Amino acid sequence: MRKFLIAAAVIVIAVLASIAATVGGALGPLFNGVRSLAEFYLLNVFNPHNQTLTAMSPEAVTSIVWDYRGLDTLFETVVFYMAIIGCVSLHRGIELIRKRSEAGLSRIVKTVTKILIPLNIVIAASIALHGHLTPGGGFQAGAAMAVAPIIVIVVFSRFFLLRKGVTKEVALSLRSMGLLGIALVALIPLIAWVTTGSAAYVMQNQVKADSSFSFPAYIGGSLVSGSLIWYNIFEFLAVTFGFTIVFLLLSVDEETVRKVLGGEEHE
Amino acid sequence: MSDVAIDLFLSNFILIAIIGTIGVSLYGIVAKPNLIKKIIALTIFTDTANVIAILIGFRRPPSVPPVFTGALTRPPTLEELRAFASSAVDPLPQALVLTAIVIGMAVNLLIIFITLQVFRLYGTVDMRRVRELRG
Repeated sequence: MRKFLIAAAVIVIAVLASIAATVGGALGPLFNGVRSLAEFYLLNVFNPHNQTLTAMSPEAVTSIVWDYRGLDTLFETVVFYMAIIGCVSLHRGIELIRKRSEAGLSRIVKTVTKILIPLNIVIAASIALHGHLTPGGGFQAGAAMAVAPIIVIVVFSRFFLLRKGVTKEVALSLRSMGLLGIALVALIPLIAWVTTGSAAYVMQNQVKADSSFSFPAYIGGSLVSGSLIWYNIFEFLAVTFGFTIVFLLLSVDEETVRKVLGGEEHE
Repeated sequence: MSDVAIDLFLSNFILIAIIGTIGVSLYGIVAKPNLIKKIIALTIFTDTANVIAILIGFRRPPSVPPVFTGALTRPPTLEELRAFASSAVDPLPQALVLTAIVIGMAVNLLIIFITLQVFRLYGTVDMRRVRELRG
């Protein structure tokens, strides 16, 4: 009852304050239209009439993330990388042993999981591969995909995942492959500059005013939006396996961890 | 009451609710001794900041998402593009919030791992007791 009264009091105070602000003319109306910068992005994001400013993708958010403000996203990926490395280094010395174990939930749950995991993978791949066409992209797809290992860990136990070959080392190397892929796609314009001699910028996607380099916007008649699809695929790989490492480390049982921690203490 | 007044009232209500949520989450970060509760308050704070960013770029309905839904196999006409640009919401805050969410998640993971380590070493996540222990 007391909690209910407090909640009701908070709502009443907020409403009264809003009325006071409205009468007094403080604060202001929201949703007053968008800024001219937004109009620029919206007009040029999929504008074949303006080749030097377009990203050739109908999805404005992915275009901003990987083309217009691509370097921001590159550094953000680095932050993500560093955080995962921090988690791994906090768990140094702890070995993920493989052993046969029939642990896990009941047969019904396991069967349902076996049906759902492929669906999960298909949905995540679809989000990643359509990231330049519909809302979604590498991060969202990676987050959706990361659900698969954690469900497997909960339903089957981590030994099952390790036995299937998804170890910390495999996940780390796949994640590094994703990051290397991102770096490679970012550097392809520079490589083209060195080999062909015509100027290009790092992370360039389409033609610029003083550079004729361009990733192909269409492959076989279907829209791939130049570099955007490649960034999404590699980011998908990096995020998926980054989370897989963290879930593997989080699932280590307390006994093993305490043994390692205790060993350090007594040295 | 006119539409303008109702509109202004609702805008102010949203803003005051956001300010209140920020206040509560800051109080949680500063005053709660439990590390887990501090982390929960921190995530509430991050999400509120993201809501502000999205609200700034929002456009009054009828508005459409910042995804061009016209034909993709032929080049869109300039009229189609102008109609899209004059009705879609601002994509820039959404892109920045996407970045903020991912970085926030990574940082949260690291904080949670450190908290887990604190619990394993000290047997408690209460900051008052962790401070008294020496180790």
